[in-house]
Amino acid sequence: MNSPARGAKLPRALRTILIVIGVLVAYVIAYRGSEVDFPRLIGSLGKGGPLMQDFLTPDLVTREIQPVTLQLALPVPCGSAPEGEVPASGPRLVPGVPCAELRDKFTVEGIDLAPNTELQLRWRLPSDQYFPGPFISTDADGHFSAEFEARPIVATKDGVPSKIEVELLVPVGGPKPSAAVFEVLDAIIVTIFMALVSTTAAVVVAVPLSFLAARNITRRGRAGTAIYYITRTTLSVFRSYEPIILATLFAFWVGFGPFAGAIALAIVTVASLGKLYSEAVENIDPGPMEALTATGANRLQVVLYGVVPQIVPDFLSFTIYHWDINVRISTIIGYVGGGGIGYYLAQMINTSQNNKAGTAIWAIVVVVWAMDFLSAEVRKRLA
Amino acid sequence: MLEVQHLHKVYPNGTVALTDVNFTVNDGEFLVIIGLSGSGKSTLLRCINRLIDPTAGKILWDGVDVTTAPAGELRRIRRQIGMVFQQFNLVKRSSVLTNVLAGRLGYANPYLSLLGIWPPAERERAQRALTRVGIADKAASRADALSGGQQQRVGIARALMQEPKLILADEPVASLDPVLAHSILQYLEQLNREEKITVICSLHFLDLVHRYATRVVALKDGQVVFTGLPQEIDRARFKEIYGEEAIEVRAGMAES
Repeated sequence: MNSPARGAKLPRALRTILIVIGVLVAYVIAYRGSEVDFPRLIGSLGKGGPLMQDFLTPDLVTREIQPVTLQLALPVPCGSAPEGEVPASGPRLVPGVPCAELRDKFTVEGIDLAPNTELQLRWRLPSDQYFPGPFISTDADGHFSAEFEARPIVATKDGVPSKIEVELLVPVGGPKPSAAVFEVLDAIIVTIFMALVSTTAAVVVAVPLSFLAARNITRRGRAGTAIYYITRTTLSVFRSYEPIILATLFAFWVGFGPFAGAIALAIVTVASLGKLYSEAVENIDPGPMEALTATGANRLQVVLYGVVPQIVPDFLSFTIYHWDINVRISTIIGYVGGGGIGYYLAQMINTSQNNKAGTAIWAIVVVVWAMDFLSAEVRKRLA
Repeated sequence: MLEVQHLHKVYPNGTVALTDVNFTVNDGEFLVIIGLSGSGKSTLLRCINRLIDPTAGKILWDGVDVTTAPAGELRRIRRQIGMVFQQFNLVKRSSVLTNVLAGRLGYANPYLSLLGIWPPAERERAQRALTRVGIADKAASRADALSGGQQQRVGIARALMQEPKLILADEPVASLDPVLAHSILQYLEQLNREEKITVICSLHFLDLVHRYATRVVALKDGQVVFTGLPQEIDRARFKEIYGEEAIEVRAGMAES
């Protein structure tokens, strides 16, 4: 009695050891195959940093820029005209002297101007023409200091003094959404609707197919069994295609853009929803079908009255869930040329407009989160 | 008149459900089929309206062979035969009224019924059927909001929509408590007596059999082991049908 049991035990232990060794070997191969390099991950942190920072500071707001001219009357010679008054705050020019004699040299300071900007200081003559002065740069605080000379040409004429002048670009009005925000909004709406269109088209095809692929509806007689297996197999085959591969294929066919992406997405969704739907149909309570068949109803009537009411919540829930999934997939499809937000993101990254790429990334995060939340809520209600 | 002749049923997995079953049901009878679980009662009832195709034998319904009827003819036969189920078999998410109207599908215009359109006359008929089983006020409720007894009454109302000449009842009260069991069977009895609807009903409890049956057919392992009047089933017969170890269990209601 004992020996066969022991004989069976030994191979079982051996088998366990072999399985463990096999799994270990698989992991070693996997580790080497994926070229895992943790030192590089840590050591090259600096390379990823700035890019990450750009992504985290999306281009969201902008302010309208207007050229503003700062002027201050500076009579030459002194007493030929009233002196200009220096304002107490705001962007302002502050000359070292209130007035000057001919050929005097004096300093002019600029305070509270745009930081790190190049400006040109100049004279506005009584004749309204201007006489150019030196180019200057403001520092980080928006301050500059420059030497200026009162040439004879700037002398007061008919009691009108010349003015020292500088032209600035000043942001006016409140912050507004930047151009990137509108571009991203456009693109993400394209993506959401691409997902909606492809999901809707897929539903229209998947619903009838799912009944054909449901054992309890179709698998009767030889013809029914054949239809059942053909539909099942077709759905399986199409489900095994990656949407990205299909999208690339259709991009060559109908051109790059949302249409190619939508077709690819629709095909994969038909396969996936068809399977989910057919399982919902197979899981219904067969009782009502039996009862309605017994009343003398025909097959279509039995399905409409006995099956459809049972599957509506499942079908709706699967559909919304799949729309949510398709928004995500269409982002990725967009990246390979399928249009929408993915395409925009690819363009921005390829042209190093990383802040705009950041805007797109944030938009994707928000939309995916919102869709996920919404679909979960709706499905909760339907359950 | 229903004649069952040499009926055999073997399921594809080899299970023999019925072997050479013969009996006749005259119009107006309340025939009760008894037997252990798995003795073939459900199979027999479902062969009569061909929810299950018998392997061999004949079922003559007013002289027409049900077993060979083509699809259209079969649907016309089925709509004269109402059926009531142990699990009620209502569409739980649909309204009570829709469930009852569905009993009329065999008569309805196929296209309008697929659109969910029912003529006012049919709606009134459904309402009358619900009044008849005492739940007229539940028409708009969802079927699964009703209690078991009420759901079975919806099941009877659905069968009534067919204006049936025969009602097949497969363990109609097995899911209900004894009080409800009597109320449901009383509805069937009433239809049997007042409308002259033939009833073929499978039952579990012997006291119910004694109370309602006009005639009894007993099945054991797919074979008819007894045909006769309910009074003829005494202890000895009972042991024959249900086996030596069986103990008679009563449904527990005082019989009137």
